[in-house]
Amino acid sequence: MARELLASQKHQTGIALDPRTKLALLITIAVFILGGSHAGVMRYVIVVLAALPLLLLLAARKWRGAALYVVIFGGSLCLELFALTRLEGALNFLAVAIIGILLRFTPSVVMGYFVVTTTTVSEFVAAMERLHLPQQITIPMAVMFRFFPTVAEEWRAIGDAMRMRGVRFGGGKVGAMLEYRLVPMLICSVKIGEELSQAALSRGLGGPVKRTNICKLGFGAQDVALLLVCLGAFGAQIFVLVKGG
Amino acid sequence: MIDCKNVSFSYPGSAQGALKNISVSIADGSFVLLCGGSGCGKTTLSRLFNGLIPHYHEGTLTGAVYVNGWDTRETSLFELSLAVGSVFQNPRAQFFNVDTTSELAFGPENHGLPEDVVRGRVAQVARDLHLTPLLERSIFSLSGGEKQRLACGSAAATEPEIFVLDEPSSNLDADATRDLRALLAMLKAQGKTVIVSEHRLYYLAGLFDRVLYMRDGEIAGDYTAAEFCQLSDAEREGMGLRPLDLASLAEVTAPPALATGEAWRIEKFSFAYKGEAPILDIHDATFPDGAATAIIGHNGAGKSTLARCLCGLEKRARGELVHAGARDGRKARLKGCYMVMQDVNHQLFCESVMEEILLSMAVPDAAQAQEILAAMDLAEVAEAHPMGLSGGQKQRVAVASALVSERSLVLFDEPTSGLDLLHMRQVAQLINHLTASGRTALVVTHDPEFILRACQHVLHLEKGRITESYSLATGADRARLLAFFERETKEASNL
Repeated sequence: MARELLASQKHQTGIALDPRTKLALLITIAVFILGGSHAGVMRYVIVVLAALPLLLLLAARKWRGAALYVVIFGGSLCLELFALTRLEGALNFLAVAIIGILLRFTPSVVMGYFVVTTTTVSEFVAAMERLHLPQQITIPMAVMFRFFPTVAEEWRAIGDAMRMRGVRFGGGKVGAMLEYRLVPMLICSVKIGEELSQAALSRGLGGPVKRTNICKLGFGAQDVALLLVCLGAFGAQIFVLVKGG
Repeated sequence: MIDCKNVSFSYPGSAQGALKNISVSIADGSFVLLCGGSGCGKTTLSRLFNGLIPHYHEGTLTGAVYVNGWDTRETSLFELSLAVGSVFQNPRAQFFNVDTTSELAFGPENHGLPEDVVRGRVAQVARDLHLTPLLERSIFSLSGGEKQRLACGSAAATEPEIFVLDEPSSNLDADATRDLRALLAMLKAQGKTVIVSEHRLYYLAGLFDRVLYMRDGEIAGDYTAAEFCQLSDAEREGMGLRPLDLASLAEVTAPPALATGEAWRIEKFSFAYKGEAPILDIHDATFPDGAATAIIGHNGAGKSTLARCLCGLEKRARGELVHAGARDGRKARLKGCYMVMQDVNHQLFCESVMEEILLSMAVPDAAQAQEILAAMDLAEVAEAHPMGLSGGQKQRVAVASALVSERSLVLFDEPTSGLDLLHMRQVAQLINHLTASGRTALVVTHDPEFILRACQHVLHLEKGRITESYSLATGADRARLLAFFERETKEASNL
């Protein structure tokens, strides 16, 4: 099975969300939890934001992901609240660093995981088209998603050939090893890329008319609710900034 | 309706595939087979029909091609894509999307058709061409045959009247080829114009109503179906074409092997992906030493998996290979076996053919390398970059490096897919050469003529188990092999 960057097939996603809503959530969570100051009322806002990926994972029946998230994020939160005050010296310093990183990073990573596993490439491309991004951006993006799994397949096949021929790391041949892998890789990729563009052009890609897209996109009540949460977070931040300044 | 008027074309810096003064007219609703040896120009001709020449491939073009009355030089690929649907050779590299439904919708979407019309087209194509089971799936989960059917479907979704297929079966096994035939029959029944450039002819028998035979860039023969089927085997072979039916192969034999009387024994071989049913389960099987053995079987029988396990490439493989008193586990097999892969581009790493050979030697020895290159007809290209060679030369480089690596078992995965008669026979000679030098060869293949020319023994694999093991020494044994492939062909022509 090929390693994929975005889903290539529709899976059980629980709450059906528009890809644009997912992107808005990802950006909001990254801005406030990964970036923000966590001061004042924002302390509570980030807890609400951190709960969103959990709800989405549960709705999508990704039980293992949800459990892991609860353990890592919830655990770090508990440690921050109850354990940090009791630690001293270097141990305290280490704990502060690790817990700080986990608290800030986990929600964004989990949200990213949710976006990647529940959005198909076609939905993503359709969403970009709806955002009125030009063809010069959307077509290369689509090719990229199509191309990565193919490159991964080539990479594995070349790796097999190297093992079979007994070409291994060691003996100071790092440069040669890289060359052995990259040269056939580049040549195969260029060839596939060329065949791919022939096929796409002969199906009328890049014509003078505006492309349509059959992916059903649109905002439902759930999208509106989640977008309001995002807006609320920005509102709260502005409130804090204005009041503080 | 396609009209070529005095068309000549050549690619820059290469004489390969050039066309000389082609004038031909293809009527609406006809099914045309383009055949001829590699490099005869049939792919080039198909590119003229779908407009990739002159709009994608550069070169010198004189004369004119008219598709439905439009001059292709003045019509964009975008407009031509409404009239001509194309299917290409490589099933891995002709999809733009990663899921099947979007791929079927891709052409109509590019033409800006309203969404509900596009959805209607997808549903109709799926219904007409029996592609419904393929809808809403990941392209990466499809087999080669399913991919090729999907490619036909996505060409059909823009509703062109003309279909141009360039060697669509060359990466397919017998089962998938049969499905492809069924689909082409449906297009023919819809009254579409179908033009297929192909080496494998048997699966198209009964479909084509005109055959254009090409040689050296010219149309050297223009036959009706009846005329073409009446050609004698000798005439057909003289033209370098594969047979239309397999009965003519009954007398073909490989040279006898240097029988050492020893055997290789596959013991307690099994392989399964984690938590899944075993794909391979061979308790005990043998094949002769110093000879070539063909591994045959239906699609999904586990042939390629067996080859990978024998080479030691699958970590989860269990079992041993017993030979000359040694019991080889996985790691030992990785050192003792050599695989010539289906896509030989994956296994050539170096900057020159010479380096490639030296890399495989335990102790690099330029003199011995020269000798091998001369024996393999590669001496002239010793300093050339492997990637610049022809497909056949690349294959010979891989075999040469297997020879110098002094590994006694060499495996081939589908070495003749997409080859014409001449090149297929060259690969057969290569394997004869290998066994004559005392090596043992195992060949995974779907090509009956190739087996008869190259192999002395057959292992028949079904559902991961060896169901038959027989030598090809007598006429009765060869008939048994042909019966297996004929069954498949009959199933094909009954559709």
